[in-house]
Amino acid sequence: MMDFLIRVEHSGFSTWVRGSGSVFSYPLILFLHTVGLSMVAGVNTAVDLRILGFAPRVRLAPMEKFYPIMWWGFAINAVTGVILLAASASTIAISGVFWTKMVLILLAVVDLQVIRNRIFRDPLVDKRPVPMNDRLLALLSILLWTGAITAGRLIAYVGAGAAENGITTLFYFKG
Amino acid sequence: MMGSLAIWIKGTPISWFVNHYAWVWPTCETLHFIGLTFLIGTVGVLDMRILGIAKELEIAAMHRLIRWGIGGFIINLVTGILFFFGQPDGYIGNIAFYLKMLFVVLAGVNVTIFYLTVYEEVEKLAPGGDAPFAAKVIAAVSLFFWVGVIFFGRMLPFLGNSF
Repeated sequence: MMDFLIRVEHSGFSTWVRGSGSVFSYPLILFLHTVGLSMVAGVNTAVDLRILGFAPRVRLAPMEKFYPIMWWGFAINAVTGVILLAASASTIAISGVFWTKMVLILLAVVDLQVIRNRIFRDPLVDKRPVPMNDRLLALLSILLWTGAITAGRLIAYVGAGAAENGITTLFYFKG
Repeated sequence: MMGSLAIWIKGTPISWFVNHYAWVWPTCETLHFIGLTFLIGTVGVLDMRILGIAKELEIAAMHRLIRWGIGGFIINLVTGILFFFGQPDGYIGNIAFYLKMLFVVLAGVNVTIFYLTVYEEVEKLAPGGDAPFAAKVIAAVSLFFWVGVIFFGRMLPFLGNSF
């Protein structure tokens, strides 16, 4: 398995992404990954806040039209994420924080679909306040995205992904 | 070479705090991204509604979400100041940092123009109502500037070669 990861990491494409020095390689992909983040997690957060009741006079049903924006964000991040993974396969693919991020994203996306089926497809949507149980789905959604962002940031600081940074633990004193 | 401003900043307790504890920087980075999510998410859906996506939404009602975007902006202002105090040499003289700040200011000017000119009209729009062209331009410019802020933020270590 490690052989495979190292082969991926040493492929011509991964090497270019990592070390070409071109603004169009690693920097551009990181930028697109952040734009995708704001489309999927950002728009989802706004929808979640509405479901939680923070802008109660906004009709929910039309908000379903933001789903394609969120899916485009997810698609951009799936593609750019695979590229970022390939570029550092031997460290990121064995990082527990990375797999934690993947599980949190999977749960967030499932939650987004459950919200669509239970809240947006509810015949009584906008005819009554969102039931408390369904509001919990929106709270969970914010927590899952927050967790995914946290895990994503920490890939560079905790576990195998931190090796490249020369950092072994977060909780040491530099002083 | 470190300028006198950077030397002064390095001597402040804030700079000491950011550099002394290894968890401060990654924690601030995480909060900076969460702030981004709230800011661009809430501002973005309002901009998209003005541009004509989900027109059935009433803008005056949606506007209540903006306070969450302001909250995100404040988180990012505070964490951003901590970054600056922690590593002033990474930012002072870094072209990407100056362009990012320029775009934040331009986004601020744009939103001020929004409230001073078209907001009163946009706020009265009924569900399904089409926003005036000027409002659409402002909404598109808002999205452009915020994406630009993300761009130059991401370019900090690459364009300036400072980190």
